[in-house]
Amino acid sequence: MSNNANSYGAGIMAKTGKEFADEYFAEENQVVHESNDVVLVLKKSDEMNIIVDEILLGDRKDDNPTLVIEDRAGYWWLKATGKIEVDCEEAAEILGKEFSVYDFLVDVSSTIGRAYTLGETFTITSELMGLDRKLENLDAA
Amino acid sequence: MAISAATKAATDALAVNRAPTSVNAQEVHRWLQSFTWDFDKNRTKYPTKYKMANDTKEQFKLIAKEYARMESVKDERQFGSLQDVLTRVDAGNKVHPKWNETMKIISNFLEVGEYNAIAATGMLWDSATSPEQKNGYLAQTLDEIRHTNQCGYVNYYFTKHGQDAAGHNDARRTRTIGPLWKGMKRVFSDGFISGDAVECSINLQLVGEACFTNPLIVAVTEWAAANGDEITPTVFLSIETDELRHMANGYQTVVSIANDEAASKYLNTDLNNAFWTQQKYFTPVLGMAFEYGSHFKVEPWVKTWNRWVYEDWGGIWIGRLGKYGVESPASLRDAKKDAYWAHHDLFLLAYALWPTGFFRLTLPTKEEMDWFEENYPGWYDHYGVIYEEWRARGCEDPNSGFIPLMWFIENNHPIYIDRVSQVPFCPSLCKGASTLRVHEYNGKKNTFSDDWGERMWLSEPERYECQNMFEQYAGRELSEVIAELHGVRSDGKTLIAQPHTDKDGKMWTLDDIKALNCVFSDPVDAL
Repeated sequence: MSNNANSYGAGIMAKTGKEFADEYFAEENQVVHESNDVVLVLKKSDEMNIIVDEILLGDRKDDNPTLVIEDRAGYWWLKATGKIEVDCEEAAEILGKEFSVYDFLVDVSSTIGRAYTLGETFTITSELMGLDRKLENLDAA
Repeated sequence: MAISAATKAATDALAVNRAPTSVNAQEVHRWLQSFTWDFDKNRTKYPTKYKMANDTKEQFKLIAKEYARMESVKDERQFGSLQDVLTRVDAGNKVHPKWNETMKIISNFLEVGEYNAIAATGMLWDSATSPEQKNGYLAQTLDEIRHTNQCGYVNYYFTKHGQDAAGHNDARRTRTIGPLWKGMKRVFSDGFISGDAVECSINLQLVGEACFTNPLIVAVTEWAAANGDEITPTVFLSIETDELRHMANGYQTVVSIANDEAASKYLNTDLNNAFWTQQKYFTPVLGMAFEYGSHFKVEPWVKTWNRWVYEDWGGIWIGRLGKYGVESPASLRDAKKDAYWAHHDLFLLAYALWPTGFFRLTLPTKEEMDWFEENYPGWYDHYGVIYEEWRARGCEDPNSGFIPLMWFIENNHPIYIDRVSQVPFCPSLCKGASTLRVHEYNGKKNTFSDDWGERMWLSEPERYECQNMFEQYAGRELSEVIAELHGVRSDGKTLIAQPHTDKDGKMWTLDDIKALNCVFSDPVDAL
């Protein structure tokens, strides 16, 4: 858990009753506001639990200090500003077995942002892939 | 001998890139690119007013072998859990009875959506001209077949291993009695497969999947787990592992038309229509299912909606596309009002019309009423007092001779059906964004609840011809309609629907309903 602005219960979500309603119905909140955040939902499994514990909250924790990971019963909920990346070669080493980017996709339950694979890396980014930047093929990597 | 252009292209590609003997999947994907497939001049049965670019990418670089391997692992994990651990621990009977009823609605309705998405993505495969885009759509078609089976399996599982099978086992046979099925078919069927191909993609992928599957398939698993249901998280989180590719397909549809002039003319209107179409049904129905169909509450529905729909879908998907001309949906203000109140409006009507359903509903307890008032200030004075009156009149007991529909008639609160969304509304009681408006067309009066549906109808009135239950059954007695349309349990007389989940409570029968002498009449006749 974290008190980071990306937390599940941050901002307006921390408010209740009339206080929540006042902000929810405020004039400035009647249109969408651009966000550079990304959200990732990982279904709990042996592999995902280890990737969360050992990589995202372990070795790679400093890669993106905005990353928040929360336990939502059947899944891990992740939110970060910018991007979240998982290197499946690194995961394979920690898991002690072959683990490709397609094995990782087995338990990726939802993405809000532009998610893609390149080689053995899974990325979800706030960038508009295909518009701001081209999606790369393996040989250009 | 002359060879075809395709054979020559394959031969040339092989000459440059010799067939590899051992490569990883991403290398195979790259190799496949060199076949220079050309669908640019293909004719399609499903045209679109937009020009879809021929170089659109598929974000996950899928090949058939890896796709099949991924999906088989998912199925092994899902069915392994269900058939081993969950059956052994009697998981079906540990579900709270209220939530057991909620899953009759959610899983049956999602099954219909998945089924129609098979056709929708097949259509998109035919319309697209980019090989990679086609590849993404094709994988989605296969996914939707899997999901249809998974949803069917959830109901089969609840029927076989759970409690109160009626409604889980064959809900579809009741589909013409009440209004909920028709509204669901408007979003899950018509919205996905009728009209312009790109519009269908916006409905299905950019709005239905990228926006509403997060509360419908992800957030629902928290509510399920909180209410003792370990079956739904096991299946639904597995379904959602395919949805991220579908969301990417919807985004790539927008990428593929971003440079087309038609996008600047039509895209914002199509997006707003799709958003309103989907939210008009999902917002109240999901809110009702979560808050009124559970015993243990996770959080107010409006917060779930605010997170997944407004902040995340609105900000991360739509907000980021602003520099490419995509605007905040014009209907957002009304949608937000609906997210706060419309599910309360809907439950009031759903409970009043309970005999027309295929599930059991429960009035809020005192503890739940306090929860509603705390989270939706003003709830008690508007809704709570009505439920207390209904309870005092014995609405749960067949001996009372009272169903809440009678209260609406006694108090002159007519219920109408919105022609476009097929969602029922009561203008004199609703606090959501619904007000009554009427148009006469071809000698028939049509009622509408909002500006956005009204606008869609005015531009295409022939598209919204579906008869509602008041038109369909005008002059007929309620128990006769329920019996004829299979709304009874296997004893042939007890209703599938009930106004309580008390296992010791008396169940309503056709005779109890017949004694009320409720005859359908169409409220528009009085307008």
